[in-house]
Amino acid sequence: SGELYCSLPNPRNVHFESINMKNVLHWSAPEGTGDGVLYKVKYSVYGVGKWIRKPECRNINRTWCDLSSETSDYEEQYYASVKAFLNGMCSDWMETTRFNPLTDTKIDPPMVSVSSTEKSLSIILTAPEKWKRSPEGESVSLLQVYPGLQYNVSVLNKKTKKRWFFAVSNNTLVVPWLEPGTAYCVSAEIYVTTPLLHSGFSKEYCIATLKDKTA
Amino acid sequence: TAGNKIFHLGPCRVSMSTAEIRSGFTAIKANIQARDPIRTLSILSHPHSLHKVKSSDRCCITHHLFNFYVDKVFKHCKTEDSYVNRKISSIANSFLSVRRKLGQCHEQNKCMCGQESAEKFKQILANYEGLNVTSAAMKSLGELDILLDWME
Repeated sequence: SGELYCSLPNPRNVHFESINMKNVLHWSAPEGTGDGVLYKVKYSVYGVGKWIRKPECRNINRTWCDLSSETSDYEEQYYASVKAFLNGMCSDWMETTRFNPLTDTKIDPPMVSVSSTEKSLSIILTAPEKWKRSPEGESVSLLQVYPGLQYNVSVLNKKTKKRWFFAVSNNTLVVPWLEPGTAYCVSAEIYVTTPLLHSGFSKEYCIATLKDKTA
Repeated sequence: TAGNKIFHLGPCRVSMSTAEIRSGFTAIKANIQARDPIRTLSILSHPHSLHKVKSSDRCCITHHLFNFYVDKVFKHCKTEDSYVNRKISSIANSFLSVRRKLGQCHEQNKCMCGQESAEKFKQILANYEGLNVTSAAMKSLGELDILLDWME
């Protein structure tokens, strides 16, 4: 196909890094090559017979390429491939393993908002949105992508250091029978049972219950 | 078993632990898919995606697919790796028990097959028979997540 004789070492560790279905192809430079290496990228839908070039990632010197747009249909699976060029030489095409956006993405922790009364906390959880092409694009919550999505909520009494865990299916939780005038810290994680996905816990959101007016 | 979930396939109710099947598959996915060099052909997802199947045909397609995996896929998926083979047989056992339940639904006429599901399954068999048995079986096994994603 008129390709140059490819004796340049290959790009290494070609793989997708995906968070909330923002799917970015990453790789490492070929061994022993300094600056000046350029790359081109192609991708294919598994089961469909053609490779498609990514024009925005042609002759680039960085070692990543955002393929979120091209891999946004999570009912499909994908391969991507990278080729390196330097001083008229080229490498072989180096491929990823088969990428399944639905099971191979990582999920960010949920947003947590907390309000308090004298003896209770009200917690509202918001799942992150799926990556979208532009801010004006339609927002799709990961809740719609993973109907079985649930939350683990941790509530810590800062004074006694006592911690509770709650498993929540919907996005609100009221924690009753708390001590007035006491600081509590809340954090939450998302988990999906199948496919098995865990977001890891969010940072802590701390708030104090109101003081007991009768005391 | 742990993680059993009730699947409502029209009037047919089947409890299955897809989480268990999926964790077994995830453990061997990279190994199995690496044995399938053919990128341009899929058994389950092209030219017709499972996601386009009408809900009324879901039970029949599911029944056909579990029969397909038990009768045509698992038995041709021996590898030189005993760990992988153990995972395959554990998945196969899970499929056997689900197939039995789907069979009961079928006998009780709760799993009707329409024209579309017959066409869809015919296409899957044609894709399968377009390859030699071992390649077709390994490719089908490597597409188990496509089946699970659709079912869930």
